[in-house]
Amino acid sequence: MEALIELKDILLRSEDHLILDRVSVGFPPGQSTVIMGPSGCGKSTLLKVAAGLTVPDAGEVLVQGQPLARFTQRKLMELRGSSGFMFQDAALWANKTIYENLALPLQVHRPSLTAARLKERVLGLLARLGLAGSAGLLPAQMSMGEAKAASFLRAVILEPALLFLDEPTPSLDHELLEKMMRMIRELRDRGCTIIAVTHDAHLTSMIASHLVVLKEGRVLEAADLATVRRSRSPEVMAILSQVLSEAATYDTDLLDLLGG
Amino acid sequence: MVARLGRWFTSRLSELFYASGLLFTILREALLFFRRRQVAFRVFVLQVLFTAVEALGIVAFIALALGALIIVQGHSLLPRFGQGKLLYSILVIVITRELGPLLTAFIIIARSGTAIATELGNMVISHEIEAYVSVGIDPVSYLVVPRILGVTVSMVLLTVYFNFFGLIGSFLLTQLVQATPFREYLDNLLAALTAADIFSSLIKAVVFGFIVSFVAVYQGFKVRVSSTEVPQIAIKAVGQGFVLCILADAMITLIYYL
Repeated sequence: MEALIELKDILLRSEDHLILDRVSVGFPPGQSTVIMGPSGCGKSTLLKVAAGLTVPDAGEVLVQGQPLARFTQRKLMELRGSSGFMFQDAALWANKTIYENLALPLQVHRPSLTAARLKERVLGLLARLGLAGSAGLLPAQMSMGEAKAASFLRAVILEPALLFLDEPTPSLDHELLEKMMRMIRELRDRGCTIIAVTHDAHLTSMIASHLVVLKEGRVLEAADLATVRRSRSPEVMAILSQVLSEAATYDTDLLDLLGG
Repeated sequence: MVARLGRWFTSRLSELFYASGLLFTILREALLFFRRRQVAFRVFVLQVLFTAVEALGIVAFIALALGALIIVQGHSLLPRFGQGKLLYSILVIVITRELGPLLTAFIIIARSGTAIATELGNMVISHEIEAYVSVGIDPVSYLVVPRILGVTVSMVLLTVYFNFFGLIGSFLLTQLVQATPFREYLDNLLAALTAADIFSSLIKAVVFGFIVSFVAVYQGFKVRVSSTEVPQIAIKAVGQGFVLCILADAMITLIYYL
């Protein structure tokens, strides 16, 4: 199966520090890939490179076999209009209300939408996570959990075919978490390609069909779940058990968990 | 020593390339701005509101004070040398051609230059710029171009406003000190004021407006990771804005007299 997004020999430095070291990995279409690894190993950066938000120092990002760097403005807009990115720190626009934060992507990509339809869409989506009452608030007036939920909604407002999630679940209370999980599951069932960075064992077990295991900017393992389960690489297993056991509140065997 | 010099030179060269690239992109996007039907128009309107409308009070105050000072000093000094009529030429040169655009630029640097630099710097740190890119909004066309156009348009409007208050409003103020017939004042003023003076003032306003906003945007985008960088770039935006406006002022004045 041809990868929807493929990273080839990605190298990224920050001053003297190597963040991504010749990373090559593919993300299959219609599947959910979870990127795992210890803190500071380059997961979020890898996600941003895959989304075209960070330009690597060397290497190539291919989207459906085409180099992202050579995309025309029009093609890039098409890609942005069919994808969504949820940031680790929410990254909501501080000078806009939550309503405006969600409405802006629609105004840009669906200019024909009437004001009434736009309002209906935004408020309807906010209501799904119980945030309809927060539409008029500024991001600074919300808790971190609510801000992350709003960031998630901004990422999915265009009903994306490709969704990037950077640590979506921390800071969420149980109710918000359950509602967001339900929406992620719906997106997955609809065939949306999901690429997620997470330490959350529950989310991983729920959506992951593929895993990418990173350590110090290098890919240790990138394969479908069955292959990873068969892997007996002590390094991979050590990272998985460490990462998952740190975050998991479930007293479950790791391999059972990965088996969903 | 040589290595340090080399690093300094490389860093300056890289900054120059970055600034040139940013300038080119801004000019290209600015040309397209009014042709596109886009949500950024609201950002432009808000920028004009913040830079021009909210600064009307302070600009009027400074223009009135400067104009009044020139008139009072001129009335007391110039007649002693039999050069009372020179007052109007001095008023035009100081207010319209020189200090009007320059002081307006300083006010805009202090208010809008710092605001733009710190706002963009904070947006870089909180990943808001990346968030714009992620939804397909080009930060240059959505955040930068409307701000640069907004500040430049505001600079022109405020310079005209400054001139008006400096030349006419200050007349009213001086009536409290020394009565002068308005008709006589206006006739003399219009005799001293040439189209070249007005053109020079407007050219300076456009150039200063662009410089102030470009420096603020450039510094704002130079922030990388830490919030401690934000006050540093704000100070740089102010310093560079002052220096570049004064240099541009000197160059335009030189060209005027060539």
